[in-house]
Amino acid sequence: MKQDKSEQGAVRIADLDPDFKSEVMKHEEAQGLNACFACGTCTAGCPVHEIFPEYSPRKLAKMVKLGMRKEVLSNPHIWYCVTCHTCEQRCPQNVKFFNILNVLKNMAAKKGYAPSPWVEQTQQIMQTGLIFPLDEALAKKRKSFSLPTLKSNGKKAKILIELAGLDKIKSKK
Amino acid sequence: MDRYALFLGCTTPTQVIQYELSSRWICKHLGIELVDIDDFVCCGINQVNLSQESGLLLAAMNLAIAEAKGLDILTLCAACTGALAEAVEKLKDQETRDRVNRKLKTIKLEYNGKTRVKHISRVLYEDVGIDAIKRKIKRDLSNLRVAPHYGCHYLKPESAFEGFDDPDNPKTLHQLISAAGAYPVQYETLNLCCGGKSFPISKELAPSLVQKKLDNLKNKKIDGIIVQCQTCYLMYNDQQKVINEQFRKQYNIPVLLYPQLLGLALGGEPQSDLGLDLNAISLNNLLTQAGTNRKI
Repeated sequence: MKQDKSEQGAVRIADLDPDFKSEVMKHEEAQGLNACFACGTCTAGCPVHEIFPEYSPRKLAKMVKLGMRKEVLSNPHIWYCVTCHTCEQRCPQNVKFFNILNVLKNMAAKKGYAPSPWVEQTQQIMQTGLIFPLDEALAKKRKSFSLPTLKSNGKKAKILIELAGLDKIKSKK
Repeated sequence: MDRYALFLGCTTPTQVIQYELSSRWICKHLGIELVDIDDFVCCGINQVNLSQESGLLLAAMNLAIAEAKGLDILTLCAACTGALAEAVEKLKDQETRDRVNRKLKTIKLEYNGKTRVKHISRVLYEDVGIDAIKRKIKRDLSNLRVAPHYGCHYLKPESAFEGFDDPDNPKTLHQLISAAGAYPVQYETLNLCCGGKSFPISKELAPSLVQKKLDNLKNKKIDGIIVQCQTCYLMYNDQQKVINEQFRKQYNIPVLLYPQLLGLALGGEPQSDLGLDLNAISLNNLLTQAGTNRKI
């Protein structure tokens, strides 16, 4: 059937997943979502929104409430947050959108949408305990400034990352 | 004498060692003892993107290690500060702490909520104090006009910082800059984020944010931007060069870590004590203004 032009991009009730919101809100960090009345103060103060208008905390909160599971979890922009906390700082309803977004990103990661830089950092931490390798060149550089040899405990970090199940996360192809 | 476990994080001791160098120098100079801890790992801030639990466990591991040594933590990176302070806050909840401690037990650690986390600037502000800093100034920096940049995680989430500064209208770095003898200029984009946390994901976003601040600052007749986080440093310093090349801009604004500025004021040797020669944008004009007559 030919789609009416006025319906293009419209949300279809049949495509919505009514369980999505409650699944998100099962996480303690996301429980404030119900208090959001979509005033948009978050988006108005968001520095990412100014550069990429497609990224909007208000819109994402609304999409979760409507049950737009796939559109939210596969949305590349959820990874663009600069973590400045301005959204939660300004919210008149004290909604911690930053925490809600983390819940969404964690869910997206489990679904295979994790961006490779974050997965690679995890793998590096499991080796050296830090997000960078500790190589000969670095040791030499630090020594030339009389700074102590840099150490960390990758073994223990690896155990904790495995206990959190993060070692199983694969990055987006 | 104040004694802290020094939490270097990942990026400072590998990419921005002048921050570590100058911080160690000023702490020694002001009687803050820093204890190096071999077992510290990444604070977990980026882990939170993929698994909040993993991020919390790494932060808790660091808190537990410091607690076992009976020490509070001094951080350099704003993001580490935010991640660790937020973990302290979360772990006040008994249920969360029990769950985390069950996991920490596998690596023979336990966190009981004793360790506190303070950024180096907060230690300077609260433990040393503005007046005590002023009394130790040896080099006159009153010719220097600089723009403070706080770094988001130095102030937020607000609930993790016991109200030591106001995230919407912050003052501590302004006062620390004044204590060092320089003049902190007011500007409109003071609270604008450097974008550093998005940099691994988008190579456009952070430079756009950096450019906004640099545009705001270019007519303010400043001698430099003062940051207190190595990621902010890398964005304003390294990305400034990239922006100049890609967009044919001619920004030439030096970027200093606060301990480098304070170190200058305390009479530190620019190169060997403060690593000023490692800053990519030439600081010669700034040093002339600072009356050192020293070229690096």
